Amino acid sequence: MEINIREYEGGKVIAVSGEIDLYSSPLLRKQLMVFVKKKESPLLVDFGGVSYIDSSGIATFVEGLKGVMSFGGRMKMFGIRPAIMEIFSFSKLDKVFEIYGTIDDAADSR
Amino acid sequence: MTDDPTITVSEKYLHDIKRKLSDYETLIDVSSIISSTLKLDDLMNLVMEKAKQELDAEACSILFYNRDTDKLEFEVALCAEDCASDILKKKIVLDMGQGIAGWVAANMKPLVINDVGSDPRFFADADKMTGFTTKSIIAVPLIGRGGLIGVAELINPRKKDYDIEVFNILCGQFAIAIENALFHREVVEQEKLKQELDIAAALQKSFLPELPVFGKGNVLVSAVNIPAEQVGGDLYDFIVPSDDKIGVFIGDVSGKGVSGALYMAKIISDFRFIALQSDSPEIAFNRLNAMLANAPRGMFLTAVYIIADVNTGELKVSVAGHPPFLRIGNDGVYVEDMAGAPPIGILPVEYPMTVIHLNKGDRLLLFTDGVYEAKNRDSKRIGFDAFVDFVSTNKDEENLIKAVTDYVENFSEGVARADDITLLEVKWLG
Repeated sequence: MEINIREYEGGKVIAVSGEIDLYSSPLLRKQLMVFVKKKESPLLVDFGGVSYIDSSGIATFVEGLKGVMSFGGRMKMFGIRPAIMEIFSFSKLDKVFEIYGTIDDAADSR
Repeated sequence: MTDDPTITVSEKYLHDIKRKLSDYETLIDVSSIISSTLKLDDLMNLVMEKAKQELDAEACSILFYNRDTDKLEFEVALCAEDCASDILKKKIVLDMGQGIAGWVAANMKPLVINDVGSDPRFFADADKMTGFTTKSIIAVPLIGRGGLIGVAELINPRKKDYDIEVFNILCGQFAIAIENALFHREVVEQEKLKQELDIAAALQKSFLPELPVFGKGNVLVSAVNIPAEQVGGDLYDFIVPSDDKIGVFIGDVSGKGVSGALYMAKIISDFRFIALQSDSPEIAFNRLNAMLANAPRGMFLTAVYIIADVNTGELKVSVAGHPPFLRIGNDGVYVEDMAGAPPIGILPVEYPMTVIHLNKGDRLLLFTDGVYEAKNRDSKRIGFDAFVDFVSTNKDEENLIKAVTDYVENFSEGVARADDITLLEVKWLG
């Protein structure tokens, strides 16, 4: 798994790629918690490079989301591949996370 | 000619012999230190303390090479001030080629610099942060069997009369000892982890029903749970909420290992308490969701809870973010992807409930994602659709659960199981 941070229209974009699992999720958690602590919002998550996510990975995003929501912020995901989207829709997590097609859709949403 | 075998040697010769003797003594001392412990911290502190003492150095440090980041990190720093050591360990990371240690690591060659001020390679930031003044430095690469381990540095050695070759030999021995200690640490940690996972597996098992088969009236339920190497946190349960009802519960906790097993234990006790007081599954899920609202580390539970009327075949079903289950009838296999809500423990939501009816001979097959996400040697997963196809083709098997587990195990033969596999079959005998 790799994490890259970039700026987009004044917000932070966290781009994750590879497999997010039990072994890689602690690194992701560390990064998300830094943003939660700094009260970054909206936090845009680029899922384009994610090839697999297990329940530990999803739990990490749930923790991040709860953290962002605690200060009234938002976390928006975009670019989720169909295979990953299946996991999100099977588990009804598409009702938990804000999910968009592209970064512009995510950034423009109110 | 005289019989007296006196030979005359120069002062320098005597001095050199004495120095060589002292070098050998040091080599022997360090060898015995090296073979005295397999504890990495003890080993590094003892060897560096000895080296510091031998060369009368003000400070010394070891930087480890991190292969993942391709950078050097301070592992040990022995200085007069503890705080300087803390600053080095916590704040300073060098790129390959950066500073004297970075140069030594990149070139895998020792370096002796008597005046760092005149050497452009010197990285002055470390001194600025620690308040220490580096004047001279001896830096030697630590190279083990597997390549670069790191760099050992002695700062401000007051003894100038030393042999860099001896220091090199020492560092060679030291590098191998570090490698052995690292290997030992890894073995010990693996053993500890294995023990913890054994405990987690036993803990998980102790919370599951004693017998994997449970029947009441016209309903017969059978289950199988195969824990993963890392123990995945799957759970299932059979409950009798009232005389004419049977409750069938399957779930998957998001964590793995000890944390997953502990959380699974909490969930199953909370669930049993709630389920005995709830005659409809959505009520049980709403209550459980409220109880697990402050789950640690974003942990959550996906689950299906079915309450079956053992006389009529009417089933009340609630789904919390769990994969769909299969209904197997005489005419085919159907994916029951009914209205559900997100997993338990994430958000305050109201769980929906759906009523379905079973006809004679109907069966339900409930499972966790470990079943269809099993990987083979080529890292290919079974996939949900292929799994449904398998069940459709083999639906008339006498023991369907066994056929499915055999299929999953054959598919992932030779691959460590990454997630638990749990299957529940609910048969309507009416």
